[in-house]
Amino acid sequence: MSDIYSIVTSRQLSYEQKVVALAHAAEDTLQVLNIPEQTRRYMEQGVICNLNEGNAPYRPRYIMPDYAKAVRQGVKFLELDPPQDLDELLTFLQVLYRHVPSITTYPVFLGDLDQLIEPFIDGLSDEVVKKKLRNFFIYLDRTITDSFCHANLGPKDTRAGRLILDVDRQLEQAVPNLTLKYDPAQTPDEFAEQAILTSLCVANPAICNDVLNSRTYDRYGISSCYNILPIGGGSYTLTRLVLPRLAQMTEDKEQFLRQLLPDAMRCMADYMSERICFIVEKSGFFESHFLATEGLVERDRFVAMFGLVGLAEAANHFAPGKKYGTDPEADEVAEQIMEVISGFAAQYECPYCEIANHRLLLHAQVGIDTDHGITSGIRIPVGDEPASIYDHLRHSSRFHRYIPTGCSDILPFDITGKQNPAAVLDIVKGAFQLGQKYIAFYASDSDLVRITGYLVKRSEIEKWNSGQAVLQNTTQLGAPTYASAHLANRKVRGV
Amino acid sequence: MGYRRKVRIRKIISQSTVDGPGNRFAIFLQGCNIRCLYCHNPETQAMEDAEAQEMTTEELIEAIRPCVPFLRGVTVSGGECMLQAEQLTELFRAVKALAAEMHHPLTCLLDSNGTIAFSRYPELMQACDGVMLDVKAWDETVYEQLTGAKTNSTVRENVRWLLEHDLLEEVRIVCLPGRVDVETILQNIAEIFDSIGKTSPIRLLRFRPHGVIGELENAPMPTDEQMAQLSELAARYGLQTTIR
Repeated sequence: MSDIYSIVTSRQLSYEQKVVALAHAAEDTLQVLNIPEQTRRYMEQGVICNLNEGNAPYRPRYIMPDYAKAVRQGVKFLELDPPQDLDELLTFLQVLYRHVPSITTYPVFLGDLDQLIEPFIDGLSDEVVKKKLRNFFIYLDRTITDSFCHANLGPKDTRAGRLILDVDRQLEQAVPNLTLKYDPAQTPDEFAEQAILTSLCVANPAICNDVLNSRTYDRYGISSCYNILPIGGGSYTLTRLVLPRLAQMTEDKEQFLRQLLPDAMRCMADYMSERICFIVEKSGFFESHFLATEGLVERDRFVAMFGLVGLAEAANHFAPGKKYGTDPEADEVAEQIMEVISGFAAQYECPYCEIANHRLLLHAQVGIDTDHGITSGIRIPVGDEPASIYDHLRHSSRFHRYIPTGCSDILPFDITGKQNPAAVLDIVKGAFQLGQKYIAFYASDSDLVRITGYLVKRSEIEKWNSGQAVLQNTTQLGAPTYASAHLANRKVRGV
Repeated sequence: MGYRRKVRIRKIISQSTVDGPGNRFAIFLQGCNIRCLYCHNPETQAMEDAEAQEMTTEELIEAIRPCVPFLRGVTVSGGECMLQAEQLTELFRAVKALAAEMHHPLTCLLDSNGTIAFSRYPELMQACDGVMLDVKAWDETVYEQLTGAKTNSTVRENVRWLLEHDLLEEVRIVCLPGRVDVETILQNIAEIFDSIGKTSPIRLLRFRPHGVIGELENAPMPTDEQMAQLSELAARYGLQTTIR
């Protein structure tokens, strides 16, 4: 009760943030999931963490509507006819986004924006299109007040894509998060370089390895931080295993690999299955929500994201004195851990996950604001990065291969990178060729910074830290994380 | 492999965004034959230095190898790279062999002050994809005041020779108002370009006091306006410039 009272009377939460927090509090009064004693214990110990998904899931965590289909057929429930021109399209999307549920209550995926817009800009000048896009983007940033929200570009070069990059660079906004799907065979260097230059100015877009990621499903999109999920579906849930907390229960690596880890994974997987069954069988989402009834999402295109965090600290725990990222011994332990985890995910039968052959799909979870001393997913801890960027990227590639539903590296670049985006593209090409799946940059002098996957303005962090209300929910998450994860100390690359 | 020739090296940088197109492996040689007042790495000028080291071609290739997937090419800078021209032919050939082995194209560029005639080294120039040529001054008096060298006639000939042989990757001019006759350089280069009927990008480098010792160590950097004026001037001569 006191929690609810503190939400109601908060001076730091905006009205909308209070409404969302109150909805969460209401959901959490229910106890509808069957959670065995051992699982409950792991949750209390912080080993298994449901990432605040709530006690009674009434929608999938991440929803990836098929916007192209919506634009073709219209949306009956919202009384929207197929748009005929750019104005109608942008209004159509604004209305539709407003009604896409998610864990954050805001849409986490805005579609392949360049491809959606491209057919509607013939005959319109760049200036006219940019003015409309500018208003559209301002609307998105000010109403989707949570930067776990993602629009996609590429892999093909389009005029719409270039104009979106131009507008994004001018506006310097945290929303939407943008990712360019990059395929050297389809994406011209010039377009990729424009994207990288934009990224070195406003920390957006990130670059996704289209060649590798398009092998995961027939059609994929990037949502939220960097989640790789099927379009026309999404993910029911993301629960995470906090590896260092489990590792600390023993000094014996073999016991960890053979007993503790399999036991915790089994508990977490069963818990995820329980959540999925509740969403599919009890919540009524797939029978009643217009996205499902109108075929904009299909139940059999949803997956289950099995999250991992803190691989570095877990590996270091069993390789005393060694460091994940630079010492082969620690990296070898990390590889053993990943083999056990991916072996488990490949054999566990997960209900209602047809598109993933009923398997759990691994995800490198980025961490949350209350994590201390736990590094995102499979990343190298800040301060332990190899001296050479090539070694860093080679290391990432080695571990990215285990992760189908999202993993990334974030590299701050010296501002000289801005003068030679082609050089940064060369580095991206090399990394992708070696198996890196996703990479994000920002310039060392940028106001916008990528915290773990989402964007926050440093100036907004200062505002929040001084006790003022801020528009973006993610500033509240980013402020403590920026400090506790020492993100200001990330190794700056470039000469 | 048998790549035994040795190069006298000051420093190698495995990731450079400022030594030519794309991301490059940059090798800085020890030793220079002129003494530019604005030199920002004067420690490379002496032919011998305790911090310099000799590396064989083979050692250099092994240093380059792990970087190859990330590279557009290799740049040899200095000091003055052409003082070790004999040794560089083997290095560039070995880089090309490495590129073929790893199925990853690599370009080999030289960053030179142009005081040594490239035409004297046909084998090197055959293995080389281009030269980034520093044109420090056009007028000989200005050149001597700036570099201590008596003449720049070879530099001028090199502009022409490299252009004729499609090896002029770019012309670099360090801009320092009152010290460098940028306008004269641009005018003469434009004439050469016109007479040959080919062109090359011009890079206008802003003088920066970083690393400079001696009388220019406190000289001011040219302003944005000054750089923009020089760029406009170049455009009037029909030259394409970038500013850094």
